[in-house]
Amino acid sequence: MTGQTKSPSLKLLDTAEKVSQGAEAKIYRVQLHPTPVCSSSAAAESGEVAEKVLLKYRFRKQYRHPSLDASLTKSRVAGEARALIRCLRSGVNVPGIRMVDAPEGILGIEWIDGKSVRFLLGGGAEGEEEIVEDATDEPEEGDLPPEEDQLQEYGISQDALMGMIGTEIAKMHQADIIHGDLTTSNMMLRHPSSRKGLQLVLIDFGLAYTSTLVEDKAVDLYVLERAFSSTHPQSEPLFAGVLKAYETRMGKDWAAISRRLDDVRLRGRKRSMVG
Amino acid sequence: MQSFHYPHLPSEYATVHVALYTNVTNSAEIRGRIVRAAQLEGPDGETEREAVNFAFLDARLICSPLHLQTAVYQAILAQVQGSIRTKTVHSEILWALNPTNNITEAIRRYGVADTTTALIVVRICSPELNDVEKRMSAVVSGTLSSLDALVDITDWASVKKYCKLNGEPALKAVAKDPAKERLLVEEIVTSSVAMKSVMA
Repeated sequence: MTGQTKSPSLKLLDTAEKVSQGAEAKIYRVQLHPTPVCSSSAAAESGEVAEKVLLKYRFRKQYRHPSLDASLTKSRVAGEARALIRCLRSGVNVPGIRMVDAPEGILGIEWIDGKSVRFLLGGGAEGEEEIVEDATDEPEEGDLPPEEDQLQEYGISQDALMGMIGTEIAKMHQADIIHGDLTTSNMMLRHPSSRKGLQLVLIDFGLAYTSTLVEDKAVDLYVLERAFSSTHPQSEPLFAGVLKAYETRMGKDWAAISRRLDDVRLRGRKRSMVG
Repeated sequence: MQSFHYPHLPSEYATVHVALYTNVTNSAEIRGRIVRAAQLEGPDGETEREAVNFAFLDARLICSPLHLQTAVYQAILAQVQGSIRTKTVHSEILWALNPTNNITEAIRRYGVADTTTALIVVRICSPELNDVEKRMSAVVSGTLSSLDALVDITDWASVKKYCKLNGEPALKAVAKDPAKERLLVEEIVTSSVAMKSVMA
């Protein structure tokens, strides 16, 4: 990095469209690779329309010592990228990675053309302040028309959507990846018209880690259950649909997780009262 | 040839020229020239190095234009930030494409071999250089083709082998559907290139 001028990635951010902001990162949308200029001699080159990219910028935190901030930011960008590639290799639907600039704290991922599950279930888009909620740092867009007709555009029923959620989480847990922040805002339904077709995509792996423990998987599910009940009315049948698909996919591993999930429900997600 | 201009990059790396050559007949000669150019001393060496100042890639191992662009972009970022691992920004593209950290292996696999018949030539330079296509064609004897022709050139079996994708659970799930499998392989490979700088 040259000291005197702005780094390329920060210049790129200047041209990007800001989508949302959380406490940890800002989210931008930008076209990373410019539309090509074709020289005359080659045959007419069509090419696809250049893909949009989502940039997650973990900005400098003034409240931290600069060197600590730099190393934390770098390791978090790296951690998120590694979790994503592990998911991809395990067949979990997640956004593809497009660029990584760890020193600047920038992660570029595939832009998902679609809506969040939260929005599709009528939980409103994030940022609409009618519901008290925790801030998360992934994008949300759109507003207005509620529920049912939203899903019609995607050609699936609410039950089918719940099944897709359960299956996707099960695939992730089978690969020993724990998401750490499962909510309906961190799941998106890719529009059927996109190149990869209709898919349920898990997003925001900022808190993800690897673990083989039944406890961690049960807590992951518990966090989602709480998210369902706090953002969507009459969520019990919905979440039951998620668990049913999860159970089917997990097979013999389900029994242990189910038992542990019951324990977690009684005590909450923290195992001990210490710390 | 296609050219991409990145306005946010420093001007000496802001323009990327990419060309696909098929029916290449002189790949052994090209490889020989690159090796010799590296050894020549004095002004002759300078001239020869400038003449072959490109990245030469085996087109069979490139899945898509996006795969290539990702490698080029990460190579430029490394160059600008001073974290480059190889000697030039062009060889850095080869390094970015290869899943391991072994530079020799990267050049052997992704670079031009004596038997290569489909070649992708990349030049990263400032926007002022405007006779790049002429310079490329002076080195490569082959048919200049559209990058769209890449879909028929990619050797998916080799891509999967080099990126160690055989046996991955993701691929088993789509084994019966070649179109879906390609989409998935392309996604994993492109993502791997993008995150190589922070690979575990």
